Amino acid sequence: MSVCLCNFLIQNISFLFIEILCCFRYTDRRKSAVHHFKQALSVDPLMWAAYEELCVLGAAEEATAVFGEAAALCIQKQYLSHGSASQSLNMPNEDHSTVSARNFGPGPDDASPRQLKHMQGNNLRDIPGNYHGAAAVQSSNGGSSNISFYNTPSPMVSQLSGVAPPPLCRNVQSNVPNPSIPSADSSPRSTVNSTIQAPRRKFVDEGKLRKISGRLFSDSGPRRSTRLSGDGGANTNVSATMAVGNGTSNSSKYFGGSKLSSMAFRAVTVRKGQSWTNENIDEGIRNENFDDSRSNTALTTSSSSPSGDTRSLEQGAVIPISAGIMNGSRAISGASEIMDLLRTLGEGYRLSCMYRCQEALDVYLKLPQKHYNTGWVLSQVGKAYFELVDYSEADWAFSLARQASPYSLEGMDMYSTVLYHLKEDMKLSYLAQELISTDRLAPQSWCAMGNCYSLQKDHETALRNFQRSVQLNPRFAYAHTLCGHEYVALEDFDNGIKSYQSALWVDTRHYNSWYGLGMIYLRQEKYEFSEHHFRMAFQINPCSSVIMCYLGTALHVLKRNDEALVIMEKAILADKKNPLPIYQKANILVSLEKFDEALEVLEELKEYIPRESSVFALMGNIYKRRNMHEKAMLHFGLALDLKPPATDVAAIKSAIEKLHVPDEPEEEM
Amino acid sequence: MATESSEGEEEGKITGGNHVLIVEDDLRELGKKAAWSVSSCKPGNGVGSLRDDNLETYWQSDGAQPHLVNIQFQKKVKLQLVVLYVDFKLDESYTPSKISIRSGDGFHNLKEIKTMELIKPSGWVYVSLSGNDPRETFVNTFMLQIAVLSNHLNGRDTHVRQIKLYGPRPNPIPHQPFHFTSREFITYSCVR
Repeated sequence: MSVCLCNFLIQNISFLFIEILCCFRYTDRRKSAVHHFKQALSVDPLMWAAYEELCVLGAAEEATAVFGEAAALCIQKQYLSHGSASQSLNMPNEDHSTVSARNFGPGPDDASPRQLKHMQGNNLRDIPGNYHGAAAVQSSNGGSSNISFYNTPSPMVSQLSGVAPPPLCRNVQSNVPNPSIPSADSSPRSTVNSTIQAPRRKFVDEGKLRKISGRLFSDSGPRRSTRLSGDGGANTNVSATMAVGNGTSNSSKYFGGSKLSSMAFRAVTVRKGQSWTNENIDEGIRNENFDDSRSNTALTTSSSSPSGDTRSLEQGAVIPISAGIMNGSRAISGASEIMDLLRTLGEGYRLSCMYRCQEALDVYLKLPQKHYNTGWVLSQVGKAYFELVDYSEADWAFSLARQASPYSLEGMDMYSTVLYHLKEDMKLSYLAQELISTDRLAPQSWCAMGNCYSLQKDHETALRNFQRSVQLNPRFAYAHTLCGHEYVALEDFDNGIKSYQSALWVDTRHYNSWYGLGMIYLRQEKYEFSEHHFRMAFQINPCSSVIMCYLGTALHVLKRNDEALVIMEKAILADKKNPLPIYQKANILVSLEKFDEALEVLEELKEYIPRESSVFALMGNIYKRRNMHEKAMLHFGLALDLKPPATDVAAIKSAIEKLHVPDEPEEEM
Repeated sequence: MATESSEGEEEGKITGGNHVLIVEDDLRELGKKAAWSVSSCKPGNGVGSLRDDNLETYWQSDGAQPHLVNIQFQKKVKLQLVVLYVDFKLDESYTPSKISIRSGDGFHNLKEIKTMELIKPSGWVYVSLSGNDPRETFVNTFMLQIAVLSNHLNGRDTHVRQIKLYGPRPNPIPHQPFHFTSREFITYSCVR
């Protein structure tokens, strides 16, 4: 029944797509989800959330196709046609939206009951919001619709602050984090353009997104967002940026998943200059508003006065109708600007979801400075560097992102992993502390904390932290993967397998989990399984030299050495800085008894990384097998000098002993 | 391995003991993987007290000497260090004085690998299982048996408060002959 209603409403209200999509996505009906997302985008090209979901599912088309001219025209048409009709539509829309919102709650949504509850709870409050939302939906399709269909009371400019407020808690009700969060300051970024042109940032989306998000995500933001985003990330950053403008809270926390919100936020920030103030005005509501925009269902606030709906953008709001009057030309230019921006961001996001990270970075660099230096974009840049295994650059990008949006939690779990790889325990523990104090109920904070303990080799505590993170949001795939890593470190392979499989159930394209499973099977000597899993990871992320290297290792133990060598070559080409494939190639050559080639390879490697004990140890082994004892001795000695751990010391020393026994039995070691 | 022995350690003799358990980073505790059993115990002071991380509880034997603690693994493990918590001040005549450590595949072929004499120990006592030969850094075995041959003041039964076993950490990267030491190798060696 609710599905029927949904179908009906779909025709009228595009945001409903998002809800349905989420349901399909969560219940693993990928094809339907993809199909519906695409439909949503065709109806409403500004629905960033839909595009984001498509990227995460790996089914997105090129951004130029989606956010192209046709889309711009479509927006303009919608805008112009709805412009004047908005007001009259308000009432009925309200009904629709609330109804639909309610329906969604318990409806097809497989999401947590919490969402439902929130939805219900929010509905009451949302009504005014919905009201406006609906209006907004209809009317603000136009690009530069700064026009706020919401009559939001003008917020105190002083409230704007440059810093995005901390993410709202999940409880919509209880937030109100800093009503006065200064939206005012956010201005630098958000203010951006007080002109109508400003909305570059997905301004348009904002209105729409907001409404949509408000309605869709009654659930506490973060959870939902993480749910939606899975590894999507960034949304929150976006939101954060947006929020900054708004001054309202939430930095993005949420919605990572709710792309909507992020988009909304962006738009919001853009607007900010003026309109935001409106939003925040209502105490308490304010926060909700933002949440709302964030897509967190928070649904804006229940502003009491219809006109009070702050969400909207402009201060003037007022003129939803005048919006209609807004000249079509403005709409057109606004729409195309928005499209330009969306195109760049969309392309970047799509490429980074496809793990073509270098290209993604190039695309992001095309953004103008002021857009580049925002939490979301910098976070995405950080993520791209992370996937390229360039941890120092990633560290730099993420730290800038933190400066840009200090309260944004999106992508911070990845930042904590970067710091883990760099072994920066001070920075990591500081990050974890900050995240926990920003939001104790965010899965990312506990992931960071867990990474901190894991770096100290306290795997049990780390595991507990990751489990907490899972508890906070069972649809946050990365938390499951991290649990899996800890189980493996504790050598509890069964639970490790279960954790990795949970991560994959949430997000099939989470290649880390495929890799984790491959590693477990490699240890358990189930080589066929291991090879299969590494291959799946490789298919998802074909640019990762680390995955290729392990795939090669698995092939090597399966005795398929030719294929292994091919993959190793690819891995070497994929990332010149990765020494491991070279080392593995030498290993394979040794097992094929091609000692000379192996030695050549190792000599090169030695030049590149002069202080690696295992390289010398392997060379020593080769010389030993070739009976070149002096060279073997030399290399074993060098290996020992580099202070390998005790097991290696024992192995090398015993190899040295054996060296001399055949030649000079009487010589003592 | 053992750090800060409070007093001198002669060949086979240990005096004193540490109050804090400090072990090197590249060792990890292996006791959880083993099946522990004892030759005899007083009700309420059984083998569980040896592994409960509680220094207040102790195992008390209840039979003839030597008193045995048997530790059996499902597969061969490399062991490097045994650490016992015993306290003369608390246990007096129950404190072990001579300990023998044996290893083998099972009860039928245990061989002694180490003997120690404890002289008024109080705290954690480290017993290294390595030989002098670098090839003998570890003992690779299915079973370890710790035998208390005699106690201080000729006591019959013995109290041991805690026992921990340490061995090397396995290579985090499977199927590698050697560990990686340089940062570049370690950074690229795993995906997290």
